[in-house]
Amino acid sequence: MASISLKKLNKTFGALTVVHDIDLEIADKEFIILVGPSGCGKSTTLRMIAGLEEISGGELLIGTDLMNDVPSKDRDIAMVFQNYALYPHMTVYKNMAFGLELRRAPRDIIDAKVQEAAKILDITHLLNRKPKALSGGQRQRVALGRAMVRNPEVFLLDEPLSNLDAKLRGTMRAEITKLHKRLDATFIYVTHDQVEAMTMADRIVVMKDGHIQQVDTPQNLYDRPVNMFVAGFIGAPQMNLLPATIRRSGHGFTAQFDGRVLPLPHTFDVARIAPYDGREVMLGIRPENFHELAPGDIDPQNTAPFAAVVELAEPMGSEIHLNLLAGGRQMVARVSPRFKSKIGDAVTLTADMTNAQLFDPETERSILY
Amino acid sequence: MQWLEAMWTKEGKGIDKDAPKRTGLALFFQIFAREWWELVKLNLLFILVSLPLVTVPAATFATASICRAMVEDRNVYLLRDFLEAMHQYALRATAWGMVTGSVLALGLYAIATYGTAAHESLIYAAPLTVSLVATVFVGLWATYFLAVSVTAQRPLLQALKLSALATLWRPLPLLGALAFVASLWLAHILFYPVSVFMPATLNFSLGLFAVMFGAQRAATLVLSRPAEASGEKEPF
Repeated sequence: MASISLKKLNKTFGALTVVHDIDLEIADKEFIILVGPSGCGKSTTLRMIAGLEEISGGELLIGTDLMNDVPSKDRDIAMVFQNYALYPHMTVYKNMAFGLELRRAPRDIIDAKVQEAAKILDITHLLNRKPKALSGGQRQRVALGRAMVRNPEVFLLDEPLSNLDAKLRGTMRAEITKLHKRLDATFIYVTHDQVEAMTMADRIVVMKDGHIQQVDTPQNLYDRPVNMFVAGFIGAPQMNLLPATIRRSGHGFTAQFDGRVLPLPHTFDVARIAPYDGREVMLGIRPENFHELAPGDIDPQNTAPFAAVVELAEPMGSEIHLNLLAGGRQMVARVSPRFKSKIGDAVTLTADMTNAQLFDPETERSILY
Repeated sequence: MQWLEAMWTKEGKGIDKDAPKRTGLALFFQIFAREWWELVKLNLLFILVSLPLVTVPAATFATASICRAMVEDRNVYLLRDFLEAMHQYALRATAWGMVTGSVLALGLYAIATYGTAAHESLIYAAPLTVSLVATVFVGLWATYFLAVSVTAQRPLLQALKLSALATLWRPLPLLGALAFVASLWLAHILFYPVSVFMPATLNFSLGLFAVMFGAQRAATLVLSRPAEASGEKEPF
């Protein structure tokens, strides 16, 4: 059983607190990803779980055992580092076998485990090579293999794909996900890359300035961000945040932005919006919710025309990212590659408000959730 | 110190799994380039362990066993595997050393004797030729016996039979390897004192590596014959 509990965990360096009393429950065999900008405390949290950083306060439990003062080697965890941390003078085989040798495991068992891990990771042909000859992706596989042979209950991965090129990163992402399913262990993974987080995790922990902002499934984070930071951090291009004023309209509400009247869907919780009637909020609309034509599958009552001026068009192949200027605000729309426009054109798109978000501009928290 | 760290940690080109495997001399030099430092350490270990002299045959078998692993691209724990191999092959190696040494000495003595006599009477050319062929055959046979013994565990008589078969089947690669060994020692003599460290650093281990490389295919072939692969024992 490798569930992990962080209870009011914090880390201080002198007067500086880098992790503030975080609470987190990680289920057995879960793939959880800590994500956030540089300096948000995600790596420090991981290192505290690994036992590489002393815990300043709070409790860390693996299963039901308090691990605060348990040495790293006794925590039944394996860690994969960003820079791989392979021993350069050892062959791949010896790198993978080293941890087991330190534990004085029988030689036939070491050999069986190394061979099995090598087979899973497709590095059998590299076993007698030294890291110097290996590419980044191959080194990363070796680092994973070294963690695997220990057969730990928990894998900790600290930005393991950061040093790889984009293509290889995509491949390795899929491999690590498959590996998690195959090994049936708990994975805790740190990254600042939200694509990695969205594609791999069972749940994502979004962190900022040492605080947990939100813990949820990737889709829920995307659809129901609890604050403006999460809304802006998850999704690429990021969510457009526009200052708008809430106005009552019949039985419902509208958000008015620079003269544009945007209807708020009836599915929104009116009781939550009502206190903001007549007040300014931050309206969040994802780039893909702007369309060149009104889509047929969306209730027309939830759409509105949205005029803007094209500042830049970035063709991505499958779509175009239109950088727009509206009401003095920069924003981005994802439109079809067939949409023709040039810089300076005035265009009118259709804003789909079905998945719009509303945030309190003072607290930055979501009004809807 | 960053340049030093970079030298250790910088990424390589990677190793293509599907790249065509090198063969022949290209493979020999590829393995040598990869394992040269291990060979230097192995050479020192061989010399150290051979100092009591009676341990020379066992050290030879152990060195050959390590070289065999290098040829097969297997992982090697140098000291541990060396000492284990010495222990494993001690008896057979000692017997091999004594018998091979005696027979080769006898053969060389016969060659020298008949060679001198052949100067006086041409009739001695026949036994001289027989002595020469027999000595070369025994040399190759003994070397193949070493290769077969460290490649797979076989009873003594079976190993003798298989190594004799390998000698008859593929003598040339092993002759080439032995010529390479001779050239190593010749280079040591010719380039002395520049080559003063050759025996201490490479000659023994590289020589045995060349021998194992040359003997690899024949040893594998005779060992993979259906009767041998199934471990079937034939009466002697």
